[in-house]
Amino acid sequence: MTSIGTGYDLSTTTYSPDGRVFQIEYAQKAIENSGTAIGVSCKDGVVMAVEKVVVSKMLVPGTMRRAHLVDHHSGVVISGLISDGRQLATRARDECSSYKSVYDSPIPGHVLAERLANFAHVYTLYAYVRPFGCAALLGAHDDINGYQLYLVEPSGVSYRYFGAAVGKGKQAAKTALEKLDFKTLTCREAVKELAKIIVDVHDETKDKLYELEMCWVCEESKNKSQLVPQDLVDEARKAAEAAQDDDSDMDDDE
Amino acid sequence: MSGLRLTEGSRGLAASVAVEGAPLTRTQVPYVTGSSVLGMKCADGVVIACDTMASYGTLARFKSLSRMHQVSPNCILGVGGDYSDFQQLQTMVDAEMTAQYVANDGLTLSPKAIHSFLARHMYHRRCKVDPLWNTVIVAGFDKGEGVLSLVDLFGTAFSSDVLATGFGLHLGLPLLRNAHRPDITVAEAKGVLEDILKVLFYRDARTNDVVQLASVTAAGVEIGKMTKLKTEWGYKSFVEGARVGDDSSW
Amino acid sequence: MDALGLLRPGASVSGLPAAHTPGAATGFALGDHAGRAQAAPAAEPGVVASTASGPLQRRFQPYQNNGGTVLAVAGKGFCVVASDTRLGLGYSIPSRKVSRILKMTDKVVLASSGMQADMLTLHKTLRMRLVQYQQTHQKHMSLTAASQMLSNMLYTRRFFPYYTFNVLGGIDENGEGWAYGYDAIGSHEKVSAVCSGTGQTLIQPVLDNQIEFKQQWGAPKVDLSLEATVELIRDAFTSAGERDIYTGDFVEICKITKDGVDVEEFQLKLD
Repeated sequence: MTSIGTGYDLSTTTYSPDGRVFQIEYAQKAIENSGTAIGVSCKDGVVMAVEKVVVSKMLVPGTMRRAHLVDHHSGVVISGLISDGRQLATRARDECSSYKSVYDSPIPGHVLAERLANFAHVYTLYAYVRPFGCAALLGAHDDINGYQLYLVEPSGVSYRYFGAAVGKGKQAAKTALEKLDFKTLTCREAVKELAKIIVDVHDETKDKLYELEMCWVCEESKNKSQLVPQDLVDEARKAAEAAQDDDSDMDDDE
Repeated sequence: MSGLRLTEGSRGLAASVAVEGAPLTRTQVPYVTGSSVLGMKCADGVVIACDTMASYGTLARFKSLSRMHQVSPNCILGVGGDYSDFQQLQTMVDAEMTAQYVANDGLTLSPKAIHSFLARHMYHRRCKVDPLWNTVIVAGFDKGEGVLSLVDLFGTAFSSDVLATGFGLHLGLPLLRNAHRPDITVAEAKGVLEDILKVLFYRDARTNDVVQLASVTAAGVEIGKMTKLKTEWGYKSFVEGARVGDDSSW
Repeated sequence: MDALGLLRPGASVSGLPAAHTPGAATGFALGDHAGRAQAAPAAEPGVVASTASGPLQRRFQPYQNNGGTVLAVAGKGFCVVASDTRLGLGYSIPSRKVSRILKMTDKVVLASSGMQADMLTLHKTLRMRLVQYQQTHQKHMSLTAASQMLSNMLYTRRFFPYYTFNVLGGIDENGEGWAYGYDAIGSHEKVSAVCSGTGQTLIQPVLDNQIEFKQQWGAPKVDLSLEATVELIRDAFTSAGERDIYTGDFVEICKITKDGVDVEEFQLKLD
């Protein structure tokens, strides 16, 4: 990018001469400024974690959530603008309830992912709206496809992943995720792995305080979406932080 | 949802629309109907009971339909009246419970709150002159005590130690009042309710002999299997019937 | 079809041949509550056939009468508001103990008879308005303010009225006891004694005679004590319960004095 935008970046309704829609790319930038969110689909479930940067130490823990349940069998975690994310979560809930009222069965993961992506996509087509400044990791379970993890982006794409990462530390997180064996990994282990990745990619110099929010749909939760029990999360985070301290001690020794 | 309607609304099911001059197309009359529901509050919980028939006018259309619905771990409904309206009620209550679940704020709806929710909805519908044609008995157990309440198609709502709807209001309620004691147990009450269902089966032509009992206690909800009543047709007055000059009603 | 109509073979709907819809033939449905008291011949309660020409149309009737008698009697420095607790429906009594009384403040009590669903809604809305008033004005609503607000609320439903007959009683800003009687759409009158509901015709003349000394020509008008008033009210309800099938079971008697509201319960016949 020589000079950013050059007049083609004010609206989603105009392509740049080289075929890009800058507003979508800027929306993705908004996500890259936000706390990292990662998710894995593993042997016995799907687990998602998000680093929620806390803007003030006076905030009550648990406020301004980034992990949302959207139905009994599915949940989303949000990276990017919190309020845009809530809009997406609300839409996901409406889609779940609407599907249920029509088909009397829970919405399959791929249908929900597609509908959410369609919803996001519409906001890339008109001059009077802006694309969503957030991405949603969607975890779901259904009887046909089992546990599923999707990433819905502001461009309106959604892909299914074994492991996905968005936000500030996505590069480092992806590298770490690639080392996992999703076929054998259990959710209990994944909670620890995800905590470790979040702790590792967290930039202590920029954001001091952060909360770790986790959400899963797994055998242990009887295929229901749940926020991962707080004691499990705390334990995993503590272990990850201890391990990190050990590492840095070793670094000092060298 | 957003104020903008960029996409097709995911809700907004077709509403019933009255075209001027044309007959109204709302539930003005119930079609497939369930008959009585009975309920009794006990020392250790609540019991409700109903038969399993849904009639189409005078036709015994469906003969093994459950008219009970579990709402939460400590609350159930027993419903009489229009069966399709009952199913809509189920959908609506379930959606509300899902909304509670996803909020994930540690709050749940108490049986009392569920009763109120139903009462407001039923009243709202009667005010639109588009009622859900049901009488609903809410049975629950909360804070160590049984909850037994009723809502009807007008939004009438109250709680009582004994409740009966439909024909049970005439034949069952007096029997329930006789049998009730503050210290009656769930096990004992089940026997009473079964006896009353038998009376209803003998006399209410919209009731069958396959029945379902359910209880809510500290241990939670237990909706029983459909069971066939043991009936006795050999009573003298049943066999001989009405006699001239006798005021026997059979 | 009402319970009696059901036992009558070949009963038709409002004199018309039975309609062809299966619903029309539904002998007994659960919503079959309304209007049995009026004993419309064999009509399915809650439903009537329209008499207009054109296709036969059967419409849901949104009103129901649950009966009940309410009264308020004011005296020197007190007011008594009372209501029975029977919830009636046609010839049935679905419940013997449903309160019809709303304690609005420590000095104002409302009792409503008529349709229980409407009463419930009215009381809920009133309760909400009372809290709003208390919070914006930092004081409890006075009897006069409450009486006007109730009238306004009833009138908001002028063209789809609350089927409720209200009496309001309490102590005003000057410490005087007063009663207010209402019709369903908010017309009201400040009086010293009023009775509404299914027992109105039985009790109001007694109150006129005993409280207002009507027809007692030349007799000196004496103010009844609180105890004498309550005794009169007990007798009035006992008598009404004798002849009115919608009045019975229990009476809740609220004695409002400067010290607050004291409620006593009085047993009537359970027949």
